[in-house]
Amino acid sequence: MLSNRRLPDLKIRDLRDDYCEFELSNTDVSMANALRRVMLVEVPTIAVDLVEIEQNTTVLNDEFIAHRLGLIPLVSTAVHHMKGPFDDIGEKDFTDVELSLHVLCTSDDTQDVTSNDFILDHQHPEVYPVGYSDSRMQSEDAERPILIVKMRKNQELKLKAIARKGIGKDHAKWIPVATVTFQHKPQISINRALMDTLDEKVKEAFVDASPSHALSYNSVTKQVEVTETEAYMYDGEYEKMAQELHHPDLITITQSDNEFIFRVEGTGVLSVEDVIITAVDVLTAKLRNLQQALPPPEQNEGEN
Amino acid sequence: MSNAPDRYERFVVPEGLQKISIEKDTKVTNAATFTLQREDHTVGNLIRMQLLRDPEVMFAGYKFPHPLEYHIFIKVQTMGKKPPREAFDDALTNLIGELTDIRDKFQSEADIKRQLD
Repeated sequence: MLSNRRLPDLKIRDLRDDYCEFELSNTDVSMANALRRVMLVEVPTIAVDLVEIEQNTTVLNDEFIAHRLGLIPLVSTAVHHMKGPFDDIGEKDFTDVELSLHVLCTSDDTQDVTSNDFILDHQHPEVYPVGYSDSRMQSEDAERPILIVKMRKNQELKLKAIARKGIGKDHAKWIPVATVTFQHKPQISINRALMDTLDEKVKEAFVDASPSHALSYNSVTKQVEVTETEAYMYDGEYEKMAQELHHPDLITITQSDNEFIFRVEGTGVLSVEDVIITAVDVLTAKLRNLQQALPPPEQNEGEN
Repeated sequence: MSNAPDRYERFVVPEGLQKISIEKDTKVTNAATFTLQREDHTVGNLIRMQLLRDPEVMFAGYKFPHPLEYHIFIKVQTMGKKPPREAFDDALTNLIGELTDIRDKFQSEADIKRQLD
C-alpha cells in the first residue's frame, strides 16, 4: 500500500560551490531533520587520520601537530571511489592517501609551515588541502594557506600523514559542512480590520517592535505590511506588543510544519551540491539496508 | 581513557549481531518491538513518523536508550489487518520512494540553476 507516501517538493533558491539555500515542502520535520543530521555527520570525506613523525624539533609536540593535521580540510572529490577502513576492501580498492611534509628552517627569521608544504601522493594528486598551491608557483591571488606550526632557525619537521575516508560520527574532522540548518517557514497574518482601528503612530511603533523587521509600515497606503516573512525570528515581540495594545488577535504567527528552508554552507572539501546528493543517497542506503536486513515474515503471523 | 569505547563502535555492526531483530509483544496482540543496531534518532524518528501516517498502525514509538548504547527500539502496534513487520516494511518502502523524489527534484533544479549561470 503506497497511499501513505508523501510527494515532497523542492526548490533551490541559491546554489554556489560553497553555499546552497533551498526550500523543501510537503514533507515532515522528521525528514528534514534526518537530512540535516545525515549531511552533518554521515556524508564521508577525506581527512588525515594517521601521522608518522620522523623528526619534530618544533615547539609543538607530536600529538599537537597530528591533531592540527587532522583538521586541515582536504579536497574530497575522490571519496566516492575510495573505501573506508571499516568497509569490505577488495584488491583494487584504495583506502589510504599518503601526504608527506619535510621542512627545515634555515633562515634567521621565523618560518611558517603551512598546508602548502605538503607533498601530495602522486598516485592520488586529486587529494590536496583546500586552497593548496605548489610553493614554487605561488601567485598573488592564491588563498592563504593553513598554518601548521612556526619555526625558528634549525628546527625541523618531517612526517608522513595518511589520509582516510571517514564520517563526522567518527570524528568532527570529517564533517563536510560548516553548518547545515533548516527553519520552519513562518506564517504571519495580520488582522486587517483590527489593525485599521489603530492610529498611525501606533502602527509605526508596532512595526518597530521586533528587531527582525519582518513587518513594515507603508506610509502611502497607511497599512502595516508583511515584507520579510523569513526575517522573523520567533522572538515573540509582535505578539507582546499586540498584548500590550489589548488586541491579542492583532497578529498571528505560526510555523509551517511542512515547509522548511535549508541553508547549507560548505567548507571547500566537497561542493554543497555533492554533499546534499550524497546525503540523500546515504539515507536511502541506510533504509535499503534496513529493509534487506528485516527478517522474513513468520508463517503463522496472521494468527496473532 | 582506557575504558572509553572505540569511536567506530558507533557505526560498525559487530560480528554476530543482526542489524534488525523483531520481538513480538507477549502481552499485546499485533505488537512488536524492532531493535535496530547502530542507528540513532536520524532513522528512528523518521521511521516512527512514517509509521504513524499508516492508518493500519495503532501505535508507533521509538527509543534511543542511551548515547553509549548504539541501538534504537521501535515499537509498533497495528490494528490487526497488517502485521507489524509488514507495516515496518511499507514505511521503509515509502520513505525510500520519498527520498528518490527529493533526489530527483534536487538534481533537476540544480541542472536548471547551472544552465542559467
